[in-house]
Amino acid sequence: MSDTTDHNGLSGDDLLAAEVALGVLADAERADAVARIARDRVFARLVAQWEERLAPWAGQIQPIVPPPAVWDRIAATLPAERTQTTGFLQSLAFWRGLTLATGTLAAACLAALIYLNLATPGSTLVAGLDGGGHRHFVATVDVARGSIAVVPAAFSADATRVPELWLIPADGKPRPLGLLRADSTVVITIPAALSGLTTGQATLAVSLEPPGGSPTGQPTGPVVAAGKLTSL
Amino acid sequence: MDADANRSLITAALARIPAGDRTALQTVYRLTSAKLFGVCLRILNERSEAEDVLQDVYVTIWRKAGDFDASRGSPMTWLIAIARNRAIDRLRATRVARRMEPIDAAAEVPDGGSAADGLLEMSQDEARLHGCLDTLAAQEKAALRGAFFDGNTYEELATRMSVPLGTMKSWIRRAMFKLKSCLER
Repeated sequence: MSDTTDHNGLSGDDLLAAEVALGVLADAERADAVARIARDRVFARLVAQWEERLAPWAGQIQPIVPPPAVWDRIAATLPAERTQTTGFLQSLAFWRGLTLATGTLAAACLAALIYLNLATPGSTLVAGLDGGGHRHFVATVDVARGSIAVVPAAFSADATRVPELWLIPADGKPRPLGLLRADSTVVITIPAALSGLTTGQATLAVSLEPPGGSPTGQPTGPVVAAGKLTSL
Repeated sequence: MDADANRSLITAALARIPAGDRTALQTVYRLTSAKLFGVCLRILNERSEAEDVLQDVYVTIWRKAGDFDASRGSPMTWLIAIARNRAIDRLRATRVARRMEPIDAAAEVPDGGSAADGLLEMSQDEARLHGCLDTLAAQEKAALRGAFFDGNTYEELATRMSVPLGTMKSWIRRAMFKLKSCLER
């Protein structure tokens, strides 16, 4: 390990760390330096410091949303979720795994249908609630019973805000339906005034609201997921 | 969502990954994948390669999240470094067309300006870095830029700027020394 200082003032190791972090080394030199990171903590720290110095430059790179298939491929390589609970929550983990693994609305709807024990065609509407390239919830409307079951697919809760479900009928005005949960299915009874509006013309949306829900009756936080209702 | 809240959400989610929490990885993905995809795409300049590398990046994050030390640095820095390194490894391992058009140092403009991504916590650090980059000679900054954004090696940069390899090495070394001195000031 050299600790010489070259004429420009960086020590040998610090210079090598800078070259690794910047990425200017060619194949063998780069491979050697990268291998050293794994076995030399002091050198690894120097590289991390250079990464810290340079990373803010990436602020100039425009974010680009990757296609949803990338997450599906990542999820497929992960080991199955550890399950510490039984019964209902276990089946929830199963749904999550199923949704992650297949990424298809059909599979999640099938699971939701099994849960709800529904099989009457024509009386069911479904919506996958997506945002940012991900499916966050799957909603199933039982028209005959006037209820909506919302299953979390892969929604991650925010520590300070709660997800609230909105019905947006053809007139475009959001009507509050109720609060959702990231860790369990919520079944909401559709208010009588809204039952006629809960059709294939409507969209469901989820916004993040203060605990207890929107104080105004209109969404106050960001809409994180939405999806159109369609007949099953 | 403000930058500090975003940073702490990412940090908290990273901390849950070593226990095998897939939802935590998905949270990290939801908050950072657009940025990291931008980084991969900038270096690789080819969508399907960048998608492959992005997948690799998150599988790496899944395996190595336990290595991230929140007391020592920002989660975005750690994630961006993984994305850049994976993209550069892919660039070197394949014959993906590199960015090799000539670099004209005289055409360099000050970076300054606004961050492209208001979601990240970098605005202050970014302004400081740009202040220091703007103290470099035009050709030094142009060379660093080619390395950082295009993943070029010393040799590729020498070709793009039509200077001998030795000259390019001394430009970059001097530039990195000046940058470090300026940032520590």
